[in-house]
Amino acid sequence: MKKVSILIFILGLTRLWAQDSLQTKKLEEVVVTATRNDHPVASLPMPVSIVSKSQIQTMGSLRLNNVLTEQTGLVIVPQVNGVGNGLQMQGFDPDYTLILVDGEPLIGRFTGSLDLSRITVGNIKQIEIVKGPSSSLYGSDALAGVVNIITDGAAARGGTFSARYGTFNTTNFNADMGTKEKKWSSFVSFNRYGTDGYSMGASTNKIVSPFTNNTLSGKFSAKLSPSTLLKFSGRWFEENQQQNFLVNAGVNQMLRTIGQGKIKDWNMIGTLVQRVSSRLKATARFYSTRYSTQTSLNIQPADTLYYHDDFAQGFTRPELVVEYFANSKNIFTAGAGAVFESVQTSRYGDESPRHQQTDYSFLQHEWLPQEKFHLITGARWDRNSIYGSQLSPKISALWQVNEAVSLKASYGLGFKAPDFRQLYLNFNNTAAGGYSVLGTEIVEQRIRQLQAQGQIGSLFYNLDQLGKLEAERSRALNVGGKVLLNKKWWADVNIFRNDIDNLIETQIVANTVASQNIYSYRNLKRVFTQGLELNVTYAVTRYVSAQAGYQLLYAKDKDVMANIESGGVYSYYRDPVTLETKRLTISEYFGLSNRSRHTGNFKLFYKNPNSGWEASLRTIYRGKYGAGSLQGNVQGISIPPSDRNNNGILDVYDNFVKGYLLFNFSVAKTFKDKFRVQAGVDNLLNYTDPMYIPNLPGRQLYLSLAYSFRAIPHER
Amino acid sequence: MKNRFIILSLSAGVILFSACQKNDSVAPALNAVTYTNLPADPPSGGYNPTNGQAIGVTNKFTFFSFATGAIVANTDSATTKWDLGFRGTTIIVNGGTSGPGNAAAQVVTGIFENLTTAPNSGFGQDNSRSASAPYAIPTGSGNGWYNYDPASNLITPIAGRVIMVKTSGGEYAKMEILSYYKNTVMPTTPTLTPNDRYYTFRYVYQPSGTKLQ
Repeated sequence: MKKVSILIFILGLTRLWAQDSLQTKKLEEVVVTATRNDHPVASLPMPVSIVSKSQIQTMGSLRLNNVLTEQTGLVIVPQVNGVGNGLQMQGFDPDYTLILVDGEPLIGRFTGSLDLSRITVGNIKQIEIVKGPSSSLYGSDALAGVVNIITDGAAARGGTFSARYGTFNTTNFNADMGTKEKKWSSFVSFNRYGTDGYSMGASTNKIVSPFTNNTLSGKFSAKLSPSTLLKFSGRWFEENQQQNFLVNAGVNQMLRTIGQGKIKDWNMIGTLVQRVSSRLKATARFYSTRYSTQTSLNIQPADTLYYHDDFAQGFTRPELVVEYFANSKNIFTAGAGAVFESVQTSRYGDESPRHQQTDYSFLQHEWLPQEKFHLITGARWDRNSIYGSQLSPKISALWQVNEAVSLKASYGLGFKAPDFRQLYLNFNNTAAGGYSVLGTEIVEQRIRQLQAQGQIGSLFYNLDQLGKLEAERSRALNVGGKVLLNKKWWADVNIFRNDIDNLIETQIVANTVASQNIYSYRNLKRVFTQGLELNVTYAVTRYVSAQAGYQLLYAKDKDVMANIESGGVYSYYRDPVTLETKRLTISEYFGLSNRSRHTGNFKLFYKNPNSGWEASLRTIYRGKYGAGSLQGNVQGISIPPSDRNNNGILDVYDNFVKGYLLFNFSVAKTFKDKFRVQAGVDNLLNYTDPMYIPNLPGRQLYLSLAYSFRAIPHER
Repeated sequence: MKNRFIILSLSAGVILFSACQKNDSVAPALNAVTYTNLPADPPSGGYNPTNGQAIGVTNKFTFFSFATGAIVANTDSATTKWDLGFRGTTIIVNGGTSGPGNAAAQVVTGIFENLTTAPNSGFGQDNSRSASAPYAIPTGSGNGWYNYDPASNLITPIAGRVIMVKTSGGEYAKMEILSYYKNTVMPTTPTLTPNDRYYTFRYVYQPSGTKLQ
């Protein structure tokens, strides 16, 4: 019923000059995210990968989630409300990966994870993915890793226009223009993306409502003197969603609710780079960003308010970084800065603004005693006005054993600060059997109020035990290496283990005389994730390359395991057919929900610069996984959780969401270095699972056209 | 898609039970009896979709006696004829502040078959004056016999939870709740005409002594 499979025209994006071929350039690509300095990717002692612009173009991707979902070890998962696209890395939930644009964090995690579809990839130069904790450089949220989106700048005078049309009336327009002069350069790009959205299954309500968004970004840089560089960049984004839902309001009574959702997001970065001497470089950066979203639904035709929700967040950060190139073997990087954050939302009971401040400093030493060895040590100190201090050290080493083999290992600590919701949420469900959820900064005061009114039945903690929330912490080890079998074959492997403590969970802290539970947040859970990532590349011919990727993942709750081993409440399950209770062994415990034990991909790329033809076939596999109790709750239609044997944990006898395989195909031809036509189909076999995977629409076809009005090659 | 309709045929339960009472004097091999669909004040009008309140409930408990293996009339609420009372997810014992009897209960963790003896201690009675433990069988998700999932609104009996009962008659019984839904069919999507508040449980009643097998 979904899908109108009509092929459609389009106009595609693309810059004709980005013609580097996949198999040759991989090793020389330069990465900045891992160390904050430019480094060839092969020299870095931690797991790092790059997705280049040329690869993004060949794939025909439009939004960031389209690109990341095809990378090994990355899984795009819905937010807790079942919609949206967050990033799961090394088994961590989306809240635990830092997403940067040009080195500065994106904000707007109002349900915990960032929606990656906010980000257009039309103006991206490359995407850098660093796995393992990077809190030693970036502070909070960088537990699983960091994704840094490096946007395009001007490398020459020129510009591109592209347009694309596809299934669900999805349109995408891109325009960019830039100029590079001797002493300055500037670059402007604009993207407009619109879609009718889609619905699935029996529901007429759309899972993705129709929306359009606009992204305008610009960059300017000027060499003020031979040793001084000034850079300024900014990004402005707005999205309008047309929401129209039929909601269940009683027996045989449906309500039509109509309204708008709006997102606004802007940021600006000012950077001054001063080369003080041949050995000393200083960079001053100022970053400011603001994100706001608002949804209002009215009941029609009465036009009375049904639902309202707003959220606004601000983030400002001045920072100074100094790099000192002591000699050819030692590089020191030191930095200090402050983060000023604020949030204001209807979700926290009142609209009063909340603030917090983090001061930080970091130090990193890179040691290259000889060509074959690279050692990086570093640490960062964060001091927050609410949750206190964190020290995050990290050490990484690379050893080039011989021309064919290199080994690397890194060990580091990561942390994630309690978010605003965990601190300030003031949620009261006043219905019968209702409950309250109170953030830790307000729980004590609210309970005292209720006590004074004689409403507290029992209190399960001393009041001074509540309200003390610490950061969540991880310790992580990554060990791996690279083997070049010959010029045509190479393989990358990484084995990882993350131990995460202090995970924040809701817990009942009190109840009222009416037996309503009061929840607050506490540092409770201990989990681990461990596994292996393997990537194999084979350069079949000059024009054809094949890549295969695989991740094995175990993610388990340590307290559940201890409970099973000691014969606690998790060591039983009820046979769903006979209703008999049986003993569960530790090996029958599967682990955390929403984590697939096996994920992988297989990709074939063809690119012939002489003929202008290119094509790709990419296959993505996600193995079976368990659905948690809050997963997939789409517009009031809740789904049965995987647990079907009454023990509240995911074990091998539960219902799993079935594993699936997706096929994406694209083909493109470039004419006269000026025109490019691309056609493609995503989800070729039309795989859908409306109940459990609402963020996966069916088959989507597209056609795109692009024109570049000056074909001066970009410098790469 | 993954609905699993479980249909149990349990007609033999009561017959087996009365049969074993006759053999009581000789080495008693007690049989587990399954009681199906004990109504615990089900809402005849479903639930109010805006505030979740049950419609058409009586607010009365359904009383059960292990000795007879049957429901006791509500008019006998002030007698010692019953052992446990069921209303929604709340289970009361005929003792303490809930009834005139001396029944008591406790929730233990284990496999029903393997719990072969009634514990010597640990039994409690209802005490409505206690704010922290008003019921011998604790209410609230994860505290006693059930888990509540706020996303799906489903009540599931926790596997491995067994309720030990000292009856009004001073004898012992053990019981395990198997389902909270009529005919043990758990709904897969929320519905306004639910089939909840129907207990299916199995129990072993020992008319003399503490052995529960």
